[in-house]
Amino acid sequence: MTSNTTARDTAQSTAERLRVAGLHAPTDAVLSVRDLNVRFNTENGVVHAVRGIDFDVLPGKTLGIVGESGSGKSVTSMAIMGLLPPTAEISGSVRLKGKELLGLSDKAMCNYRGNDLAMVFQDPLSSLTPVYTVGTQIVEALTVHNPTMSKQAKEARAVELLGLVGIPSPKDRLKAFPHEFSGGMRQRVMIAIAIANDPRVLIADEPTTALDVTIQAQVLEVLHAAQEETGAAVVMITHDLGVVAGMADDIMVMYAGRPVETGSVDDIYYSPRMPYTMGLLGAVPRVDVAEKTSLVPIEGIPPNLTNPPTGCSFAPRCPLASEACLDGEPDLRTVVPGTEHRAACIKSEALADVDAHAVFAAPAVPVSRFDRLPRHERKTVLELRDVKKHFPLMKGALLKRRIGTVKAVDGLSFDIREGECFSIVGESGCGKTTTLLEIMEFHKDQDGEVVIGGLSNKHAADAKAKGAMRRELQMVFQDPTGALDPRFTVYEVLAEPMENLGMSRPAIRKRIMELMELVGLQADHVNRFPNQFSGGQRQRIGIARALAVNPRLVVLDEPVSALDVSVQAGVINLLDKLRAELGLSYLMVAHDLSVVRHISNRVAVMYLGKIVEIGDVDAVFDNPRHPYTRALLSAIPVPDPELERTRERIILQGDLPSPLEAPAGCNFATRCPVFAALPPAKQEKCLTLEPVLEPAATDQQFACFYPDGELDADMVVVHENH
Amino acid sequence: MLRYLAKRAITYVFMIFLTTSAGYLLAVSTLQPALLEQERIPRPTPEQVVNSFRLKGLDPTLNPWERYVDWLTAILTRWDWGRSPNGAFINAEFGDRVWISTRLFLASIILTLVIGVALGVYTAARQYKASDRVITSYSYLMYIVPAPIAYFLVQLGAININESVGERVFFVTGISTPGLDGDGWAQVVDMLAHYAVPTFAITIVGWGAYQIAQRQYLLDNVNADFVRTARAKGLTRNQAISRHALRVSFIPVAQSIAFTIPAIFAGGFFAEKIFAWHGVGSWSIDSIALQDVNAATATLAYGSVIFAVGAILADFATTLVDPRVRVQ
Repeated sequence: MTSNTTARDTAQSTAERLRVAGLHAPTDAVLSVRDLNVRFNTENGVVHAVRGIDFDVLPGKTLGIVGESGSGKSVTSMAIMGLLPPTAEISGSVRLKGKELLGLSDKAMCNYRGNDLAMVFQDPLSSLTPVYTVGTQIVEALTVHNPTMSKQAKEARAVELLGLVGIPSPKDRLKAFPHEFSGGMRQRVMIAIAIANDPRVLIADEPTTALDVTIQAQVLEVLHAAQEETGAAVVMITHDLGVVAGMADDIMVMYAGRPVETGSVDDIYYSPRMPYTMGLLGAVPRVDVAEKTSLVPIEGIPPNLTNPPTGCSFAPRCPLASEACLDGEPDLRTVVPGTEHRAACIKSEALADVDAHAVFAAPAVPVSRFDRLPRHERKTVLELRDVKKHFPLMKGALLKRRIGTVKAVDGLSFDIREGECFSIVGESGCGKTTTLLEIMEFHKDQDGEVVIGGLSNKHAADAKAKGAMRRELQMVFQDPTGALDPRFTVYEVLAEPMENLGMSRPAIRKRIMELMELVGLQADHVNRFPNQFSGGQRQRIGIARALAVNPRLVVLDEPVSALDVSVQAGVINLLDKLRAELGLSYLMVAHDLSVVRHISNRVAVMYLGKIVEIGDVDAVFDNPRHPYTRALLSAIPVPDPELERTRERIILQGDLPSPLEAPAGCNFATRCPVFAALPPAKQEKCLTLEPVLEPAATDQQFACFYPDGELDADMVVVHENH
Repeated sequence: MLRYLAKRAITYVFMIFLTTSAGYLLAVSTLQPALLEQERIPRPTPEQVVNSFRLKGLDPTLNPWERYVDWLTAILTRWDWGRSPNGAFINAEFGDRVWISTRLFLASIILTLVIGVALGVYTAARQYKASDRVITSYSYLMYIVPAPIAYFLVQLGAININESVGERVFFVTGISTPGLDGDGWAQVVDMLAHYAVPTFAITIVGWGAYQIAQRQYLLDNVNADFVRTARAKGLTRNQAISRHALRVSFIPVAQSIAFTIPAIFAGGFFAEKIFAWHGVGSWSIDSIALQDVNAATATLAYGSVIFAVGAILADFATTLVDPRVRVQ
């Protein structure tokens, strides 16, 4: 298996290499990939997207393929499935149970696809045909490979499959259309389709990336159950090192179309030997520990694969790169003799006990001048008092009548002090974004009071006060590409807010140069257009624009969720630095709790328009009192295989209920693991009375009657000795 | 469903009433049939004209509002749409003309839809191959060639065929040969000889738009995620496209088809003029030239009704093919 990757073999013909590789493949591997290469012809030349991939997967085992966008991981999976467009040039070998798949016609591949080889895709919302029922689509998968199966048998099997993936009342749901299902339910259906014919190999391409964390935990659980049911080998493709830590047996880290490190999950996570892997692991914030170190930023961007790299493809971004690294691309070599742990780095031996923070020169933790002051002595920059946003739900075309109310935000109160970062977390639909919009709205007819830098919306909501408010508060948006006008140069983007304030031209020019330096961009790039920058750089431009008018509070709406892990780390470090240096306060909305934990001082957990728990970030994350917070935190996978394997996980049932169905008592009762385990006498209280925020510790409040209640056993899952 | 239909119908009846009333008031205040009467030989005296018009309910001495009230009362109480300046009754004339328009367009619109959609699917499956390029280029050509010119070219071609054969194979104008006796077979041959040229002309001009639309919508869906899912189940590419992409891409096409169907009964001005089939389309324009207030308004009202029916049908078609849409 190793012979085809040593330098000695490069002179041999591909055919010879494949023959040798075939001989060395483990006989019990269900899927063996050897020297897989994929090239696309584009207008800019030939893109060599996948450059020589070898791996084997054994039955019942899971291989995690980890990489950032553009690393070739999805192309690899599509090449195995034979789903790449005919214009793609594919070479190498893909063997399923010893049979070669590459080169088969579309028709011949159809005998394998959906039968022995199945796949789950990333976006469940678009992966099901909207005009057919879920049942029809599952039955179709059965019909294709079992033409003789009777109609009743197929239907019975479809019901069984839906039940297996955890869809309640599966028999009735067969007739439902995909649009009647939530994203998580649709992904379950996708898994049901994939396992319909007991596949030997199941490829899951970012199966949970588009889902909320609680739903992600449910779907991962279903995948786990599906694997146990079918005994299939699973190839799990992801960018999230946490997701695979608990599931995978082996890991392959990809960079620029090549595997740069492979090995068992423990080898990769606990003793990475390739600087890129080390950087990736260091770049991910942890939700389970209070960190006092900066994240590891990987500078630069992945190479353009139209020009194959002549040296190590990671060398331009690697802090350890030397002359030798540029001389030919290193092959995967065994790092620890006798194991399968291999890395493509000429210096891997020297990296045995090196800390990623040292390698990548992670910046020192910035200290703000406000950090020394106790919280109550600092000035308040933003205060919300009982802010509500209720949307009437109307019916009728001409004469509308109100049939209900959506309580998107239902009585929020919190304050943000100078120099602190306050985050709001929760599932999509819980009202995070509406809260931000209400703050930005700043109108005196709003329900509730918003005070920004001493200006209240109730007293001073005229245009002048609004102008003053905008000076205090600026916003950074989620999608850096969409938030920048593509026809504006960076200079124009940054100058616009200052021109609005009537600053003089020389002052604007000077300030822009300052801003560029502040956010880590080259000052001579101001005349470029946004599309000439990478995603991370664009987000830096967005931050610079927000800072242009010297605000005291910056609202960050999912500031890093559109960025790759390695780029994300740089932006988070920048935000941390700016907060300390400029004495800024942040109001951040994010769904990634790891990021929240890393950057925030205080956090509020929202559920259906209400804050269910609020307080100091370490207090809330280390000692969550509300069952929802506990569930949310337990749902987040951490990049630590040991911990992931043994950790207790609360799997919430179902989806976030529609805000329309908000019950009279506690909002969370319908999904609450504590409520489910309560005796009926105590349940009554949750159903009739609405819990209010009660102080737990010095800076922690939660809204629950039974914070110490037992958890329902059905909702707690532990995978021991997985 | 019935409630929905009733609601929509009421809305449309109201809209039709508004457009028709506005149309009538506009026509009655601008069209002056009396002036045309002055061109007759011998020239009638103005009193004679007024008297003759008064008898037909077209009294030019009344003001527009009075005439509007009379006209509306006649429709609402007796369903009488009035008379033309030449004395013809609109109601009688109308029935004949709708029937002629329908005969002219029925076959060609069905052919247009079937051929257009079928070729759209065919070309989408063969994107950028020679057959796709030829067919799609032709469709775009038909977009830019004005319909009357294409009709004339077809007419010329038919005349050329007649000449080269030396016998009158095709009739390029008219509905049937007047005074043709003979058995049933001779009648059928005569009918086909009259139908062939206009049907052919309208069809080859019309299907381009449907071909382009269907091709475009299908191509939008050929690489959709759900088609990839279908292929991952084990369907071949062509099976996945025909079972999954086609149905989804047909949703917007079905809507436009439903909208087109009622147009069969509304006729078309150019085709009816060029092939000399005197249907509703040519009548609508002729009535303006002849300063015929009642006929002009009647064709306008009819056009509104056809539009409303098309809109309701389009809604139905969408609910029929798209489960995500529900009638409320």
